[in-house]
Amino acid sequence: MATVTIDGKTITVEDGTLILDAARSLGIEIPTFCYQAKLSRLASCRLCLVEIEGQKKLQPSCATPVLDGMVIHTQSPAVVTARRAMLEFLLANHPLDCPVCDKGGECELQDKVFAFGPREGRFTEWKRTFHSKDYVLSPVIIKNANRCVQCQRCVRICEEIVGASALGSIGRGVKTEETSFMRAWLNCDHCGNCIEVCPVGSLMSLPYRYKARPWDLKEVDTVCPYCGTGCTLTVGLRDGQLLRVRSRRQTGVNEETLCVKGRFGLDFVVHEDRIKRPMIRKNDVLVPVSWREVSNYLKERLLPLKGKGDSVGGLLSAQMTNEEIYTFQKLFREVFGSNNIDSSSRWPVASEGDFYPALLDLISTGIYRGNLREFLSADTLLVAGSNLTDENPVTEYAVRYTLSVLPLHLFILSSRPSRLDKAAKGVKRYIPGREVRILASVLKEVMKAHEEDLKRTFGDVGEVIQGEVIEDDFVRALSSRLLGSRRISILVGTDLLRSPLAVDAFRVISNLIKVLRAAGKECGLQFLFDRSNQMGAIDMGAFPRDGGMGFGSLLEASRDGRISFLYVLGEDPVLNYPDGRLVREALSQVGLLLVQDAFMTETARMAHVVLPGATFAEKDGTFTSNEGRVQRVRAFYNPPFEARRDLEIISHIASLLGVDLETDPSSIFAEIKDLISPYRGVDYEGLGDNGLFTGHEKGVDKGLHPVAIRDVALEGWGFITGNHLYHSGYLSQRSRLLGSLIDAPFLEIGKEGADSLGVREGDSVKVRRNGQSIELKVRVKEGLPEGLLFIPENFGSLSINNLMEKGVYPFPVEVRKNG
Amino acid sequence: MFEKVLLKNADKPESHRIKTYLKGGGYEALKKVLKGYQPDQVIQIVKDSNLRGRGGAGFPTGLKWGFVPKDPTVPKYLCCNADEGEPGTFKDRQIIEKDPHQLIEGMAIAAYAIGANKAFIYIRGEFAFGARRLEEAIAEAYEKGFLGRDILGSGFDLDITVHRGAGAYICGEETALIESLEGDRGQPRFKPPFPAVKGLYNSPTVVNNVETLSCVPHIILKGADWFRGIGPEKSPGPKLFCLSGHVKRPGVYELPMGISLRDLVEEYGGGTRSGRKVKAVIPGGVSAPMLPESRIDVDMDFDSLAQAGTMLGSGGVIVMDESTCIVKVAKRIIEFFHHESCGKCTPCREGLDWIDKIMKRLEGGNGRKGDVELLEDLCNNIFGKTFCPLGDGAVMALRGAINHFRDEFEYHIEKRTCMVA
Repeated sequence: MATVTIDGKTITVEDGTLILDAARSLGIEIPTFCYQAKLSRLASCRLCLVEIEGQKKLQPSCATPVLDGMVIHTQSPAVVTARRAMLEFLLANHPLDCPVCDKGGECELQDKVFAFGPREGRFTEWKRTFHSKDYVLSPVIIKNANRCVQCQRCVRICEEIVGASALGSIGRGVKTEETSFMRAWLNCDHCGNCIEVCPVGSLMSLPYRYKARPWDLKEVDTVCPYCGTGCTLTVGLRDGQLLRVRSRRQTGVNEETLCVKGRFGLDFVVHEDRIKRPMIRKNDVLVPVSWREVSNYLKERLLPLKGKGDSVGGLLSAQMTNEEIYTFQKLFREVFGSNNIDSSSRWPVASEGDFYPALLDLISTGIYRGNLREFLSADTLLVAGSNLTDENPVTEYAVRYTLSVLPLHLFILSSRPSRLDKAAKGVKRYIPGREVRILASVLKEVMKAHEEDLKRTFGDVGEVIQGEVIEDDFVRALSSRLLGSRRISILVGTDLLRSPLAVDAFRVISNLIKVLRAAGKECGLQFLFDRSNQMGAIDMGAFPRDGGMGFGSLLEASRDGRISFLYVLGEDPVLNYPDGRLVREALSQVGLLLVQDAFMTETARMAHVVLPGATFAEKDGTFTSNEGRVQRVRAFYNPPFEARRDLEIISHIASLLGVDLETDPSSIFAEIKDLISPYRGVDYEGLGDNGLFTGHEKGVDKGLHPVAIRDVALEGWGFITGNHLYHSGYLSQRSRLLGSLIDAPFLEIGKEGADSLGVREGDSVKVRRNGQSIELKVRVKEGLPEGLLFIPENFGSLSINNLMEKGVYPFPVEVRKNG
Repeated sequence: MFEKVLLKNADKPESHRIKTYLKGGGYEALKKVLKGYQPDQVIQIVKDSNLRGRGGAGFPTGLKWGFVPKDPTVPKYLCCNADEGEPGTFKDRQIIEKDPHQLIEGMAIAAYAIGANKAFIYIRGEFAFGARRLEEAIAEAYEKGFLGRDILGSGFDLDITVHRGAGAYICGEETALIESLEGDRGQPRFKPPFPAVKGLYNSPTVVNNVETLSCVPHIILKGADWFRGIGPEKSPGPKLFCLSGHVKRPGVYELPMGISLRDLVEEYGGGTRSGRKVKAVIPGGVSAPMLPESRIDVDMDFDSLAQAGTMLGSGGVIVMDESTCIVKVAKRIIEFFHHESCGKCTPCREGLDWIDKIMKRLEGGNGRKGDVELLEDLCNNIFGKTFCPLGDGAVMALRGAINHFRDEFEYHIEKRTCMVA
């Protein structure tokens, strides 16, 4: 510990604390530009210079650690003069075009000059100008180099946090320009984090430029509707229109970052596809009707089904709020008496009856409900089954940041190559289905080393792993790291949920966690769900229980004519269920198909009744992130046309059947809090900027589950699917901006594979299966395993699920060069 | 007459060949060290010799070596700073081109002392010829077993790589040199940690100037006492002075530290070419404030020049006769620093740009009342606040010009023309 005196106040802080931080904890504000807490220190702007007694020169407080006994002045004449001088220098070549600058009103240069700067300018020379017109760096980023203060925050965040390294400096001295190579369009993620950290109006959001002044904006804090990372975001509205999205410093899991979907992809809420009025199919055509008419119709059709559990079913999106999901399952369980509920239609599960029990066991055994950044403060991190860069970008940022500050050993087990691979100590590619053998081999190694501990904890465990294990560099390196670690974290990705052997994979991971714990180590997991409230959907019980049918079984029952009523809320299974033929056949046989959605989806086109629902922008409630963090979703729009909030519609349907269900999110949450144990400590009113974490339920330790290792055979080509950075489903597809970055699916193929087919980047290929075929453009991606192809899922323009089949993964296909 | 040490081979035919070097007793120091000394003993000898860095800052060399951690499991690096870029300086080039083995032997001894098995020579990009000479000399040294594996059967390994810079003055600053060597933008790094603790590839690194390293074999052979006996005790040794400007006999002169500047200019340089009076002398490269003729009775060593308000720097002595316009000189010096400012820190980047614009305007006859005061204020706002010494150097040079020749600046402003024209 070190005791220092700053401006006459004394404070004792940890050794190595920066003077800046010590001063801030005393409430003394030292202005900075280049300093940014999570970025490497630069100490170049010289704004934070302070005087240290006994030292001749002023020192940068952002990079100088305290030493015991230091006496520091932040307000002495020398410091005040230097500060003013630096601001005067920064203003010298600054264009001072504040009246036309987007940043005016929230500009750090303006604010600092106002607070500390010279009151009069002395610079009367020609100003340096790089260009007379702003230039476009990407569909979302526009640059004005003249305004730049050279703090390099953009360059550093791009390299150190995002990992894209798309920005850099060109030129030297006063001609230094932070930009792309040759000022060309950036080959980047378009995440806009460079815009977020820019203190001045040098990097600007192209969609937002010239749209508003900061003081014109009404800002609302809410949660990103895309993936399960659960980023907080602040939307800015002018005259009721969404103009921009920003993140908030030190807030939420994302702190100051967002990915391209969160920052630029929310324009889907105003897409022209919005359903305007309720519709009923009459003479095979969907006809707009009044709410009164649709209510009467539904009442007549649904009343006979009340209590008829087996013949009804519901599917809802894991992008609905907890309150909606809870109410939806309550409608089914209490009003219809049905357990046929599911919250995902995208997992091609083979053995559906085992899937949720195994998943729930894994959750109760291993889940770490807590801050991702603390979760990552481990000795070893295993990412299993995810291309994190594409699936959960902001989680990836957190991993990359952690790697830069802690001695974390990263191991990646993933079918798809990702940007994180190069930072990993071990990377293993696999054909889905073979991950079980790899994980089981690691488990076996760990068990061998801890036989005694296992006997003490579990008694005689017998043969937990049945089948042949493998020994390769990855298995050896990971096992020995696990044995040498005290704290181990596992991130489980959606590739594992798609695996044909998902159940086995869950069991192996659950065993591994139990074994590592028995060996005295801390070990936990978090999921990398790709839907904003998947965690909440599972917590709320939106899955088949007590013999209920999951969505796959519901489809089979529908095909056989056994389902009289299917209620689909916010999902588009016709497009995304991994068996195009089955889903179309099945849905056409349902007695009454009710689709409630904000958008006119492919599924809605098949429905008997369509109800206009709302997007996340129009509702209040909560999401539970992958961290188990409950956060407030806040409405910033009203439902357009005759659309209604989904919660109101669900209750309305219940009321048609004579049951009153609550519609106020906070009252529903109170009920959730009472009934669902992890939510016991979470208070709706207490959900501040950072939300609240759900608690751990006490899992019943049932010992180790034997797993028989099986493999998935793949001869020839097989494709897998998943998310793309710019596209993750029917929301991103309705974003005009994301659509401009990617508008059609493509075929990712390894280098060797491309050579063997004689195709190159951009060539067109025909992918065929069971008489169905689609044409796709080729993208060559180094590092995909042999025989494996990747096609991003569910684009409306091409139904790739016609090539998919329930229970199969990867999907075997023939590939031929076109023409 | 002072007996040459560093340049003793320079005038011999084929002075750059190893056979010439060996004939003059070359590599004997390396043999002596590898046979009889522990690394610590070598460091102690260099400490005892009071050798101070010849690159400009004059930091005690032995002390710098002593900062390197002794942990044998950590890789260490030696970098020879051959990025000789200070205007008025051309001494290292003499050693590199005329007697490269002297440097290589010095590097081998230094590497042995700090425990480095890999050394780099970061040479100014324009020194293409010098780089080639070094490559050839290194190849010769490998062939004779003075470099490579198990040097002279001692078990000590050393590889030397020559790396050519790409033209930035800032890369002569040691941390910028390291950044550049690593393949990054040549910009200085924050210190601490100092390179001796975390330098090249985050490993302990010593960066020494060519002339500094070339002194080492002589110290080993002739002893620390001999070295300390040359010139003033606190900054002793032979020194290469680069004499340029309006002198009759410009060139590199090897003389003992502490020789009088007037003697250097008048005796060795032969006075001015034109016969006009000397007006001012820059004693140590353009970063060193100039001295008017009235003040050149000063000893050329680190401490005496510091006392005189200037510095020895790199030993680049630039002589100006009375036909020189000091404003023009100051403008040109600022132009240089402005051009070479790396752009990392605010005061150097923006401050020098501002000063450069004022100087150009002033020199061009468009000066305004108050410009000199503004320049002085800007100098104050830069000095001591920059990230590295580049900005300070520029300010010191300008302040020197204003302090001694203020009337010329005022004349320029008032008459819109030059005093000497």
